[in-house]
Amino acid sequence: MKLVTALAAVLALAFPVAAQVKLPPYTRQVLPNGVVVVMMPRADLPLLTLRAVLRGGAESDPPQLAGLSSVTAELLRRGSAGRTAGEFSEALDFLGATWQASSDDQSTEVGMEFLSKDLDRALGLFADALLRPAFPEAEVRKVLAQRIDSSRAAKDNPAGAIGLYFRPFFYGASHPYGRAAGGDEISLARIGRGDILDYHRRMYAGRNLILIAVGQFEAGALAPRLAQAFSAAPAGEAYAWAPDVAPQRGSSARLLLVDKPDATQTYFQIGQPGIRRASPDRIPLLLVNTLFGGRFTSMLNDALRVTSGLTYGANCRLEQSRLAGGIVISTYTRTEATEKAIDMALDQLKRLGAQGVTAEQLASAKAYVKGLYPTQRLETADQLAETLKDLEVFGLGRDEVDKLFERIDAVTLETANIAARRYYQTSGLTFVLVGNAGKIRAAAGKYAPEMREIAITAPGFSVP
Amino acid sequence: MRTVTLWLLTAGLAFSQQLDVKTQTLANGMKILVHEDHDIPNVAMYLFFRIGSRNEHTGITGISHFFEHMMFNGARKYGPRQFDIQMEKNGGSNNAYTSRDVTVYTDWFPRTALELMFDMEADRIRDLSFDPKIIESERGVVASERRLSVENSTSGALSEQLNAAAYVAHPYGWPVIGWMSDIESWTMDDLRNHFRMGYAPNNCVMVVAGDVTAGEVAGLAKKYLEPIPRHDPPPPVRTREPEQQGERRVVLRRPAQLPLQMISFHVPQSGHPDHMALEVLGAVLTQGRSSRLYRRLVDRDQLALQVSQGMALSLDPGQMVFRMQPRAGADPARAEQALIEELERVRSAEVPAAELQKAKTQLLTDFYRSLKTIAGKANLLGQFEVFFGDYRKLNGYAAELEKVTAADVLRVAGQYLGERNRTVATLIPEAKEASK
Repeated sequence: MKLVTALAAVLALAFPVAAQVKLPPYTRQVLPNGVVVVMMPRADLPLLTLRAVLRGGAESDPPQLAGLSSVTAELLRRGSAGRTAGEFSEALDFLGATWQASSDDQSTEVGMEFLSKDLDRALGLFADALLRPAFPEAEVRKVLAQRIDSSRAAKDNPAGAIGLYFRPFFYGASHPYGRAAGGDEISLARIGRGDILDYHRRMYAGRNLILIAVGQFEAGALAPRLAQAFSAAPAGEAYAWAPDVAPQRGSSARLLLVDKPDATQTYFQIGQPGIRRASPDRIPLLLVNTLFGGRFTSMLNDALRVTSGLTYGANCRLEQSRLAGGIVISTYTRTEATEKAIDMALDQLKRLGAQGVTAEQLASAKAYVKGLYPTQRLETADQLAETLKDLEVFGLGRDEVDKLFERIDAVTLETANIAARRYYQTSGLTFVLVGNAGKIRAAAGKYAPEMREIAITAPGFSVP
Repeated sequence: MRTVTLWLLTAGLAFSQQLDVKTQTLANGMKILVHEDHDIPNVAMYLFFRIGSRNEHTGITGISHFFEHMMFNGARKYGPRQFDIQMEKNGGSNNAYTSRDVTVYTDWFPRTALELMFDMEADRIRDLSFDPKIIESERGVVASERRLSVENSTSGALSEQLNAAAYVAHPYGWPVIGWMSDIESWTMDDLRNHFRMGYAPNNCVMVVAGDVTAGEVAGLAKKYLEPIPRHDPPPPVRTREPEQQGERRVVLRRPAQLPLQMISFHVPQSGHPDHMALEVLGAVLTQGRSSRLYRRLVDRDQLALQVSQGMALSLDPGQMVFRMQPRAGADPARAEQALIEELERVRSAEVPAAELQKAKTQLLTDFYRSLKTIAGKANLLGQFEVFFGDYRKLNGYAAELEKVTAADVLRVAGQYLGERNRTVATLIPEAKEASK
């Protein structure tokens, strides 16, 4: 492939195996109605990825209406001024295009990927869905009913369901992250078409909208087309971010036991307060967490899987949302080994806090994070669009990528171990267990003076 | 739509024909494919061993998958844990997967780790260790994996029942992960025999894609892999599944929020001339929200939460499986009836030209998408080499797809999606008292 080969030579210069990677060039402009347009040309495949990002996401759901932002995003493709839901799907599939619309903690993202030569038709669909959705009553009812069934079906997969139980228990109902991001059967039943219309009118406004285009295109041709398609958006107001409320470490441990009587395996998560995405502690924590629970040879996986054969996998996730999040251990084991596995996870936590990491470990984590970064963030148009979205939503500059390796290299053993001691503690933990309560209730009791219990068949994902 | 499609196919041909691959076969029979791609300073190295659960027998089901785990547990030069420790400290990561037909090792790393990877792969292919203590520990890991993916998963549990009913003779009937009693009981001798059988260099295809040159790969392969002696590959799988002569039904009752249903039809192996027409048929039925089954079951009748179709690549005759989650309160029998009505419709009249074109466009754009990454390219090259007999067929994908006619789709639908060839598995939720 001549074109690719020629381009590859150029890129090879841009990405030496040396000390630093760079975000490829992109442009950023602001339309008169406030819409931000970010464009990054890439020439390797004849595809174009288009994303619309709205600030807000689950954080912006009214407390009683969890799932509103997510349901609104789903409904965009289900009928507009000019098309029915069926006509939209037909047109999309004829282009072989993909569509996704979802909300995370702080934003809604609507993405479309199509062949570059189909730009005009694809952009017509994209703008129509975002700016002129009709939210037909019949489609609203259909989506809400499907979402309610989905939130119930999620409980048939305990490995996935445990995360849905963890968040409300960890953050509490008054925190924006303490509500089910996609809604649950209780909150979804409260949402009406009026709520959706209102949410769309407030949030899908020029000053709250970021457009990102990555892929094969001519910048001179794409920019005016995007500007034309989105000039129809009313300027409106940018979403006002919620005040930062960090989860607090409890004075003692708390535990939620979710009873699934037929489970032959106990799934558990153990969490404590962590950081915001923009925290200055992020890079040292990223390295420490890699060593503790972020890769195969991590302390947790080595102890619970490799050494003892108790589980297929154990990890620790470092949440990185706009508001401060959690540091959460997650694993599972056969019912009879529940206590042994929890003790072992806590031992590793204690070991990290007490002993920290070694210089050799730190060097290994640095090489690991840097070595994989290009395949995770710089290889495809989707990954690059995701990176550009993060820069916009979290208010970061391109230094975030261009100086990343430098910042990783700058982490000393001392800074890493200060972070380890500060964030990986053994007191005031939040435990959530999903399993056969009759067999594990007694063992669970020893981890926390305060224990709540709920049946997996009870509606929703939190204790009333 | 015609001009659009032609343009598309032109683009497809132009692209796929230009995927440049260099090959080399070592003296011991190991075949190596190299695709240079210098976009990012990383490499994807995929090793396809032609051994999977089809090469097992009763009593040792799941042993191929167990080996996928054991290959990370130490060899002569790089002892226990060292494969992962060395890999991660050099900026790499890995995984592996086992299917009915193949066991595939997937390594991703910066180009600076290339020689290390050759050294470590050669070490474990030639001199894997069999430490009884590690084997016992890994048995526990695989049992946990089975509890995760089968016992505590409604779709895993139902899928296992479906396959066991769909096959009465052929090894595709048992689960790749193995029956729990076999996981608990295989012996050291079973393990040694299986390793000797599956891990011959002449039973392996290695694909290297990324920031390498074909020359350096050839040199490293000669140095590290060529000295591994050739030996006998697994014996041919003799058993052939007899023709199914009537519908089979399985019911699984267990606690669940929603029912689940899977419907399987026997179809030929991937290398068969009908394969591409079946791919198009599958897309017409389930790809995208304008597909026939989505429109009927999810949208119009609102009987199902979702519906999908899968046809895994296979060396022996395989399956086309439809999976559907009936809505809460919907009678699974009604959902099944609606699905079967749609299958009968596609068996009784040709798919209109525009709908056929849509399905082809969807398949072709998906094909592009699988080539976005060096990992995707390595996987696809290996799959074409193993399942279609020649990686070069990848370059003919668009042309083969274009050849499929509405008459072909009608013929394969008629031939394979009939009642006599059907196995239906249904999970019916049952209540269970709360734990005491």
